[in-house]
Amino acid sequence: MKSKIYEFMEFFPFLKEIIKRDFKKKYYKSILGVAWSMLSPLLMMAVVTIVFSTVFKRDIPFYPAYWYSGNLFMTVVFDGSSMAMGSMIHNAGLIKKMKIPKYFFVVSTVTQSFITAVFSLVPYFLLCLVLGVPMTINLLAVPLVIILCYLFTFGLGLVMCAYGTFLRDLDHLYKVLRRVFLYITPIFYPIEIVPDQFRFLFEFNPIYIFIQLFRDVTLNGVMPSERLLFIATSYSLLTLALGIVVFREKQDRFFLYI
Amino acid sequence: MENRTRIGMSADAVEKRQSIVDKPEKKIDKNQIMVDVNDVSVMFNLSKNHEEGVKEYFINRIKGRVGYDEFWALRNISFQVKKGDSLALIGRNGSGKSTLLKTVAGIITPARGKIQVNGSIAPLIEISGGFDRMLSARENVFLAGTMHGHTRKYMKKKFDEIIEFAELEKFVDVPLKNYSSGMISRLGFAIATCVNADIVIADEVLAVGDARFRLKCEKRINEILSGGTTFLLVSHSASTVKKICKKALWLEKGKVMAYGNAVEITDQYTNYVKKLPTRKTFSAVKTREPR
Repeated sequence: MKSKIYEFMEFFPFLKEIIKRDFKKKYYKSILGVAWSMLSPLLMMAVVTIVFSTVFKRDIPFYPAYWYSGNLFMTVVFDGSSMAMGSMIHNAGLIKKMKIPKYFFVVSTVTQSFITAVFSLVPYFLLCLVLGVPMTINLLAVPLVIILCYLFTFGLGLVMCAYGTFLRDLDHLYKVLRRVFLYITPIFYPIEIVPDQFRFLFEFNPIYIFIQLFRDVTLNGVMPSERLLFIATSYSLLTLALGIVVFREKQDRFFLYI
Repeated sequence: MENRTRIGMSADAVEKRQSIVDKPEKKIDKNQIMVDVNDVSVMFNLSKNHEEGVKEYFINRIKGRVGYDEFWALRNISFQVKKGDSLALIGRNGSGKSTLLKTVAGIITPARGKIQVNGSIAPLIEISGGFDRMLSARENVFLAGTMHGHTRKYMKKKFDEIIEFAELEKFVDVPLKNYSSGMISRLGFAIATCVNADIVIADEVLAVGDARFRLKCEKRINEILSGGTTFLLVSHSASTVKKICKKALWLEKGKVMAYGNAVEITDQYTNYVKKLPTRKTFSAVKTREPR
């Protein structure tokens, strides 16, 4: 454990370099560059609002912001973990030639998706202002929700990376799963349309928990409920622990498959 | 299950190492063992198709992985390298030279045996060792330097020296994808030898540069050797091995054939290769009669 911390300290400058590198490569030669992380969800939001606002208008106040917040967490969790899945393969050149902690590449890709998310928070709060959402002291809980979601995504990324490196089919399967989650998570519809007796099923969906927490503090202006916070923390820590165990067991054999 | 231990690589030790190595008047303990390879074996799974699918995966699971061919790339290798020594690994293609270097560098975890490395390693495995071709030389220096466990600040100090040695002043901000292979190998060599590692590992890197640069490299290697750096080299050039290295390790099919004085071992190896029967190839090319 102690040697792991020393290793982390020794290679920390390297972690900073690869995060910088990945960021630079993401917007390589694009004119708008980082502005795309704000622009693309806004464009999608415009389309979704036009399509669905007539359907759910009476049920959901601030519909554009409602959709935007749901989409934000959906994107960050799935983008982060699916990029983490390919991180060993994309960095095969480095992993095969240098001794560096392999989980750094997972950290880098997950951080990348969160940098994008933080950028896209800017238009979100502007949107809230425009729509007249009351701003409350509860907004202070936003970083906590983001951190919990980060830990969850990192854990998920480690698991997906550990298996995805051996089994490339997982990438395709994961794309299907993403689509499924897009529909089973209340992103564009209100949870109220689900019958009461089935609503507990949604609590098994970690992404919904994060979205609900985020909507509570930003849109509904209420304190995050202790129950939801407890569930979210458990999901994050359990996933992280699982990720670490699986990744440590598998990482020595990666070089045979990349 | 840590098969490999690194001694004295705490964060403080890294700082200390950098400050010590910068002073050339440090005493060199010639008897200190830098690399201790003890009965190491490395195994690969020879799966015929790397693109494994779900079906094969489950079939293999059920069969208990009978589907794999075990291939021992290295068998029971043992040797020691002392401080300031230079060791050449020689042998035919596929004899396990690069695998052994990668195992010493800690990239491959051995299936059996133990490797102990006392100090930092600058591995220079293949020419483009750890470069990102989309980035410029400037960015790659920092990427590679931090990969060796140095801080950005330290690399800033060394930056001019590296670029000067690699003779790439004009191309510092050009992406590496536009470089020639010689330019990339020069940059790689410059970084590995400028960062003051305790052990430098080089795999076929001297083969690329032109004659003038190779002379410069040999001079540089002699400099760092006299400074107490340990050098491990893979090379197919007998003259390079004889010129640079004191000792040589001859590998054949993953086993040690001989270990000792570089000149003697290289001569033995050259004689052995000469005696090998050459297979008649290219006879399969058939000339077809025109219709």
